[in-house]
Amino acid sequence: MAFNILLVDDSVTVRAVISKALHLAGVDINLLYQAGNGQEALTILEAEWIDLVLCDISMPVMDGEALVAHMVDNGMIKSVPVVIVSSAGSEPRIVRLREMGVRDYIQKPFTPERIREVVDNVMGVGKNA
Amino acid sequence: MRDQVVESVSATFLGVVEQLTFMFGEPASKSGVLATDDDYVVAHLDFTGDAKGWLSLAVPTGCVAEIAGNILGLEPDELDPSSLAPDSLGEVLNVICGHVIMAIAGKGADFRLGGPIISEASPEFLAAAVTSDDWLGFMLEENMVLLGLFTE
Repeated sequence: MAFNILLVDDSVTVRAVISKALHLAGVDINLLYQAGNGQEALTILEAEWIDLVLCDISMPVMDGEALVAHMVDNGMIKSVPVVIVSSAGSEPRIVRLREMGVRDYIQKPFTPERIREVVDNVMGVGKNA
Repeated sequence: MRDQVVESVSATFLGVVEQLTFMFGEPASKSGVLATDDDYVVAHLDFTGDAKGWLSLAVPTGCVAEIAGNILGLEPDELDPSSLAPDSLGEVLNVICGHVIMAIAGKGADFRLGGPIISEASPEFLAAAVTSDDWLGFMLEENMVLLGLFTE
C-alpha cells in the first residue's frame, strides 16, 4: 500500500533529507506533501487525504506541539498518525506528546533504517503478511 | 566552561557533526581562526526552559556549502548557496544544540529551541570569541570552526 505522507519542518534541508531517507528506505509513497510549519500543515490536512505526518517540534508560526494540540481538538489525531522527528525531544516533552496521541519519536540525526522501522511499525506494514 | 562540560560538549559536537555531515573533527586551538584569511559565517540560536542560554557555530564561508552538500548528498556546485546552504547550517546547529543540552542538563531537561539566525562573522567578533571562555575551537576536516555555548 502506498502512503500519502506529510512532512512538517521549517528547514527545507530537513524536508529534503527526510524525503531522500524515505525513498532510500524503500517506503512505498503515493504523494509526499510538505509544510513549513503547523499552520501550513493544518491547511493541507483539511484539504488532502494524509496517511502519516512526520513533524518537527521547533517551528515558527505554529510549532509541532501546537499542531498536535489542534489535531487533538479536531479529532484528527485519532485517524492520522503523527510521528515527531526532532532534536528537541526532551523526555518530558515526548511523554507529553505521546499522551496527546503522538505515535512515535525519531531523534535527529536519523538513518533511513530508523525511518523505515518507525513507518512500518506505525502504519502496521508487514503485520498482516 | 568547566573542564567536564568542555569534554561533554566537545564529544557531543564531534559525534553529531560526524553523524550528520560525515565530516570528522578534533579539538583545536581557537587562535587558529585568527591565522586564516577565510571569511566566516556564524549560526546562532537561543534556548529556554530548564536550560537557558545560547549556542553558536562559526564556520568558514566556503565550508557552508560543503556541509549542506554532505547532509543532502549533493555536490557543492549543485546547491543554491543563497538558500539551502545557510538553511543546512542552521539545521546542523539545531541538531547539535538539542544533543548538547541533553548532554549537559540531562535527558529529563525540558527545553525549547529558538530559530537559528545566520549572519556574517566580523574579524572583531572572531577575535572576541577566541579570548572568551564560552567558545571552543575545532578542526573539522580542513576547516577551523568555533563553537560557543553560554548557559545561565
